[in-house]
Amino acid sequence: MKRRILLFSCLLATISIILTGVLFQLAAFHSYFEKTRQETVTEAGLIRAAANISGDSCVAALDKADPDLRITLISPDGEVIYDSDISYGRLDSHAGRPEFVGALENGAGESTRLSSTFGERTYYYAVLLDSGNVLRAARTVDSVFSSFFQILVLGALIAAIMTIAAIIVGARVTKSIVRPINQLDLDDLENNAVYEELSPLLHRMKQQNDIIAGQMAEIKQKQQEFAAITDNMREGLLVLDRDAYVLSSNKSALRLLDARTDGPMRMNALAFNRSQDFLSVVEAVLGGAPAEATLHINGKYIQIIANPVWGPEGAPPAGGMGAAAGVGGTHSPGGKASAEGASAPHGPGAAADTGATDPGAPHGPGAGAPHGPDAGAPHSPGAPHAPDAAAGLGGTGAAAGALLMLLDVTEREDREKLRREFTANVSHELKTPLTSISGYAEIISEGLAKQEDIPRFAQNIFSESQRLITLIGDIMLLSKLDEGEKDSFPAREDIDIFALAEEVAQRFHGAAAKKGVKISLAGSSTAIYAVRQAIDEMIFNLIDNAIKYNREGGSAAIIVREADGMAVLSVADTGIGIPAHEQDRVFERFYRVEKSRSHSVEGTGLGLSIVKHAVMLHRGAIDIKSDGSSGTIITVSIPLPGA
Amino acid sequence: MRDSYVRQLRQLHTELIRMGAYCEESIDCAVRGLLCDDAGLRGKALDLEDAINLKQREIEAFCVRLLLREQPVARDLRQITTAQKMIIDMERIGDQATDIAEISAFMAGSSVKSDIHIADMAASAIKMLTDSVDSFVHEDLEKARQVVASDDIVDALFSTIKGELIEIIMGDATKGSDCLDLLMIAKYLERIGDHAENIAESVVYWISGDAVQ
Repeated sequence: MKRRILLFSCLLATISIILTGVLFQLAAFHSYFEKTRQETVTEAGLIRAAANISGDSCVAALDKADPDLRITLISPDGEVIYDSDISYGRLDSHAGRPEFVGALENGAGESTRLSSTFGERTYYYAVLLDSGNVLRAARTVDSVFSSFFQILVLGALIAAIMTIAAIIVGARVTKSIVRPINQLDLDDLENNAVYEELSPLLHRMKQQNDIIAGQMAEIKQKQQEFAAITDNMREGLLVLDRDAYVLSSNKSALRLLDARTDGPMRMNALAFNRSQDFLSVVEAVLGGAPAEATLHINGKYIQIIANPVWGPEGAPPAGGMGAAAGVGGTHSPGGKASAEGASAPHGPGAAADTGATDPGAPHGPGAGAPHGPDAGAPHSPGAPHAPDAAAGLGGTGAAAGALLMLLDVTEREDREKLRREFTANVSHELKTPLTSISGYAEIISEGLAKQEDIPRFAQNIFSESQRLITLIGDIMLLSKLDEGEKDSFPAREDIDIFALAEEVAQRFHGAAAKKGVKISLAGSSTAIYAVRQAIDEMIFNLIDNAIKYNREGGSAAIIVREADGMAVLSVADTGIGIPAHEQDRVFERFYRVEKSRSHSVEGTGLGLSIVKHAVMLHRGAIDIKSDGSSGTIITVSIPLPGA
Repeated sequence: MRDSYVRQLRQLHTELIRMGAYCEESIDCAVRGLLCDDAGLRGKALDLEDAINLKQREIEAFCVRLLLREQPVARDLRQITTAQKMIIDMERIGDQATDIAEISAFMAGSSVKSDIHIADMAASAIKMLTDSVDSFVHEDLEKARQVVASDDIVDALFSTIKGELIEIIMGDATKGSDCLDLLMIAKYLERIGDHAENIAESVVYWISGDAVQ
């Protein structure tokens, strides 16, 4: 705009300078020529008067008075009698000249002629003398062109100066015109009283601004709503574009992936996690196939369910859909399938390594086995790491983007693990006594046993059977406790926990005496509303442990008291203790502290598990304190009725 | 036009992360294959080598195409030239992981490896690689500089292992063969550390434009 204004003003100035110069020159020439003509006419009149008085010969004398004036005396037949410039006789006959003809006819005649070089213009004026001769006076002036060329250099100089001046002034003017426009207050468009001409524009801009602001606010609100919904989800959500860059993510996703957030503005999804499983999932889903995997990140199991997103222009290609359906179908069991898949391909030696960084490695001992959590990856199982060219460089992925859902399945995976361990343990614990029983029975039935050994064998068979019965009884009790109180247990009743503890302790009289453990009971009677059988088993197992894992001549102290609305029963022994790192695990089924040390002690490994479940049944709390070498204090708290 | 250029640069970035991830996986498999005597893991390291080589060629061609077609300048140009350097280092890391896997196949069942600091050294080398790839992924200049500085740790461990192996050979010459293999492996790990350092230097150059002294 500035340039344009400046250009136009300069152009205007230049054109006006040139036009003015030319027109002025023409006007000046015209008036100069007119003056010359007047002078010539006057002088010719004077000379005529003189010639009429003193004869034609005086013309030659008068001629000297004005050297610029050329005087010619022409005879009536056109012959030049005298000429002040050129000697007579040399000139042609002037009979045809218009001024001569005019003078003969009217007494005076005039004409103007350009000289042959066009550089001069001559004015002729002729009068008829009394003698019959014609007197012609002529004056020569520069023509308009030559006078113009004479001042051309000066004129150009002036024009140049004026043009420069015009540019400077123009620039200033332009600046002063533009300045208010530049200083428009764009935040308050309507209150700009700069140029009246701009107000419709400003008004329109204001309207547009309002519309845009409204739309922005709407979008922002929608975004906030979306963010509020997604940020409060426990599941992680990632939206990727076709290049695997993150378009949108919620807090849970970043938390689950343990992602850094200080990286570049737009993160590559692969920056969150670079494990092969994650790479495969992203590659597969951007290739157009839904995919699923379970990652192991910082001790947590994260299940990823990925689905491709198709752009408006492209419906999924028929083949892609088919493949997708196939993949989805085979992996429909979801987490279960992938969890088992994770360990399946490994040999037994690597079974503990449930896919920390290598789940579903098809190269493991079980190569060719199911692909594990690497579900839906487009690789053929034989070559899982051949990079997918279609989703890689050069080619564009089939999908326009992808939606990744992240679920924390740690608990589920842990439960799965516990379940598997439990099954394995139960089988093992059941098999051990059965093997002994079967062995003794076989020896007896084959007749290989000596008669005197048979009672001892029978005794062994009996004790092993008893152990089996106890074990199965414990397992049944546990499953009852697992089921809760619905039908398995008799209704709750008011129980004096102190009296019950005393009664249970009585049962251990023999066992305690045998090991030289002194049982003491302190406290006062405390009533709780509970399932008698469960509390009985709970106290039984606590005292049983306190004696079994005690030293010879140790003690077991049972204390019952009330505190904070709870009935608190604690059993303190002076036994072998429980190391700190194992204190969390002792409540697991079949878990036994330091197996080598405690295997001398008979036990099913279910005792504390039963205690825990009994406490849970009554919504109580359990606490374990031990320094790992000299004794353990286990405290259970059961809410008092009405508390 | 420009839009597709930006996309291509992003694709390059993604592919480099992929290649880095392959390298990490490959060296991880090779080292665990050695330490746990797991033939399956060693096989996986060998398979990954092919994937790494393929990726290197892809990225190389891609970089040349970008340079020719887009004639990038400044940071973009550095990104591409850096990528060209990085893939060479990454490919070498893949080769060395393969070498480790191949050598460790000959010394299955040997107990010497648990008597020396080879596990520590492997952990340090892997950490260097992981950190260097991390610094690239997160465009983290500080981390890249840390990796450059941490090469000394791996170098020092190499000297330690060398000393330990000499003592073992002096004590029991029958273990000589295993010791020599382990020395080779230690050397490969040391080289991997150097390549990780190179990658980190490339990252520093890419981000800041300054060459590391």
